[in-house]
Amino acid sequence: MADASTQFFEGLGSRGHEAHLEGANGTLRIELTNGKKTERWLVSVDDGDVAVSHRNDTADSTLRTRRDLFDGIARGEVNAMAAVLRGALAVEGDWELIVLFQRLFPGPPVANGATAR
Amino acid sequence: MSGGLVQILDGNTFVVSDDRGDIEASLTDPTGLFSFDTRFLSKWVLTIDGERLNALSTDDLHYFETRFFLVPGTGTVYVDSKVFVIRQRAVGNGFHEELTILNHDDQPVDMTVRIDAASDFADLFEVKDALEKKGTYKTRIENNELVLGYERETFARATRIGSSATGRIDKAGITFKLRIEPHGEWKTSLDVVTAQVASGVTHNRTKHAKNGRRGASSMMTNLERWLAAAPRVECDWDSLKSTYRRSLVDLAALRFSPPVGGGRSLPAAGLPWFMTMFGRDSIFTSLQALPFTPELARTTLEVLGDWQGSRVDDFRDEDPGRILHELRYGELPAFEQRPHSPYYGSADATPLYVVLLDEYERWTGDTKLVREREREARAALDWIDGYADLCDNGYISYKRRNEETGLENQCWKDSWDSISYRDGRLPGFPRATCELQGYAYDAKVRGARLARSVWKDDALAKRLEREAADLKRRFNRDFWVADEGYFALALDADGNQVDALSSNNGHLLWSGIVDASKAKSVARHLMGPRLFSGWGIRTLAEGEGRYNPIGYHVGTVWPFDSSFVAWGLRRYGFKDEAAQVAAGLLDAAEFFEGRLPEAFGGYERSVTRYPVQYPTACSPQAWSTGAPLLLLRTMLGLEPLGEHLIVDPVLPAGIGHLEVLDIPGRWGRIDAFGRGRVDVDAPKGLRRQLGAARA
Repeated sequence: MADASTQFFEGLGSRGHEAHLEGANGTLRIELTNGKKTERWLVSVDDGDVAVSHRNDTADSTLRTRRDLFDGIARGEVNAMAAVLRGALAVEGDWELIVLFQRLFPGPPVANGATAR
Repeated sequence: MSGGLVQILDGNTFVVSDDRGDIEASLTDPTGLFSFDTRFLSKWVLTIDGERLNALSTDDLHYFETRFFLVPGTGTVYVDSKVFVIRQRAVGNGFHEELTILNHDDQPVDMTVRIDAASDFADLFEVKDALEKKGTYKTRIENNELVLGYERETFARATRIGSSATGRIDKAGITFKLRIEPHGEWKTSLDVVTAQVASGVTHNRTKHAKNGRRGASSMMTNLERWLAAAPRVECDWDSLKSTYRRSLVDLAALRFSPPVGGGRSLPAAGLPWFMTMFGRDSIFTSLQALPFTPELARTTLEVLGDWQGSRVDDFRDEDPGRILHELRYGELPAFEQRPHSPYYGSADATPLYVVLLDEYERWTGDTKLVREREREARAALDWIDGYADLCDNGYISYKRRNEETGLENQCWKDSWDSISYRDGRLPGFPRATCELQGYAYDAKVRGARLARSVWKDDALAKRLEREAADLKRRFNRDFWVADEGYFALALDADGNQVDALSSNNGHLLWSGIVDASKAKSVARHLMGPRLFSGWGIRTLAEGEGRYNPIGYHVGTVWPFDSSFVAWGLRRYGFKDEAAQVAAGLLDAAEFFEGRLPEAFGGYERSVTRYPVQYPTACSPQAWSTGAPLLLLRTMLGLEPLGEHLIVDPVLPAGIGHLEVLDIPGRWGRIDAFGRGRVDVDAPKGLRRQLGAARA
């Protein structure tokens, strides 16, 4: 499960459309650091249509964090906004796009008591 | 705030000090410089030759700027000083303080001026709950600045303190040794800048950034622009004009620009402890202010829409489609010791989101926003029938899933004992309070209108109308307390009526869920002696088991609550009754110099003759500030209809004429006039009041 981040981005790319991002436009750059290595993902959003690549391009919003932390976010174990508040996830640029993007992160794995209808 | 405390603010940065301008925080003394829910200064004390100063007076220049006039020497009644001190302080990105010392003597004077500074970097929640810090403090001196720091893992906050005059900086403050010539003066500018450092990536803000006098003057321009853009009120009752102006200025102070707002602002809940986004408070305040400052509603809809829940998260009581309750930025939410990142435990904000979206469009004609927020509105409507229907009975109920730090009562009356049976017993959970069903009904009716007119989805419109009609029919059967003729406060988990009489009945009128045949009985209860105090509507009726005239939600009068009751009465045609509630509240406002508090005692008006403020009420509070605005709308009977604004005034006795000029909306700008009756034989009292005589 070490590769939850890759699964997350590849899932995004293969679905190609996210209802949660309808109405949103822009590009997000996600930089994942692992020791001295930095892995870059570029997510382009056009009214819900999503394209994912490794292109090193400028973006409207940037998220930067350790890769293992993003793995946790992609598995729903780490809450992204709380991570921003404690400085573990750095964000820059267009905040609105980031807030819309974080809707795509899954909830905690075990949701006791809640009934999805 | 009471107790001689002085507060100034800009957005969610604010300073609470004593009347000397000093800050000496303790658990019982919540002073300090606060920003983003963290205390950045807990000590800021000025001494001259080791002695504290005496306050002569303070001059609140604006809500963001104040001036302290001081003299040295304490402990004596008689002060005869040749030295005079002025501290002028403006809040910006931290604060900027201009310290001026004047020597009025014929002799030069030598002195040691010292500022002691420290910070505990307490989270706002800690200030109230006295929790121990888990991180470490790091104080250093760097580039002629004193830097107070706090770190816990990647969480870092810092306060940078610099001075224009050269002083000796140590880790506990700055010392100036100086000589002031006869009739001379000495000055320095002190800058305190707050910094949030995120894992070495976002660097400290530049020193003296956007701070200082320039910041204060641009804020002044901003305030003037805000006041100039709002409609003008003319009235033969001066008190109403000053209450209106007070409301506008306070609303300006309560504006808050969250990072996601694109620089625009929405109303925060209240000052000083609630300068953050609250779903419910921001929506209610935006509704009240719509005829005056519609841009608040737009930002509220945009920001709350962006943050709409998207997943199931028990800790945050989050569901897909749910509108947030409260967002906080401090250390405890950051480390998930509190769920406010954001917290979603509110059962009313979601239907009210749809209500505000529709009401906003009716006033402004901004169909673009309604189209942009179609997704969120549909998700909110789905939430009502899905996640919110905990008992599978077609009603919104609430029961927190975060049992440790979540909210028990997820309606506006959120204190522990607010929902009770007549005999005072408390029901179990889930609870389906009545006003939630009213909001749900209104959301469906308004959602249907938007679906038909803007989203062009006739099938959705028909379905929502069918559901609304069904909800109304069931509600009038299940919640109606037949032997008394009002609606029960709630249904308990077994579907039994929680049968206390409460102000919530007025919200039901506002929502339109009440059968026309039942409205008269409901209005009679609202205006009867058990609920109407003469100033406003009690939250819980006199005679109920838990009634207490100074109980938070069990007998006090909340101006916000009463203003919506007035709107509800008006909706069902009870124009004189609405005017009477307006008169009572506006009279009360005069006692508070135009600033209605969060709540005041439910005592009978003829007994106290003065509205007794609830002990720890937060003031100014956004939806209390908005109440006079909604009352103006109610008295003039302002109602958008197509491209027009209907004006149908019924004024309280005592107001001869009332004009609201330049009301913004889809019609451009329009004026509204009302004429009323003045009782020439009214007894002359100390002050002219409207609603003194009970009808």
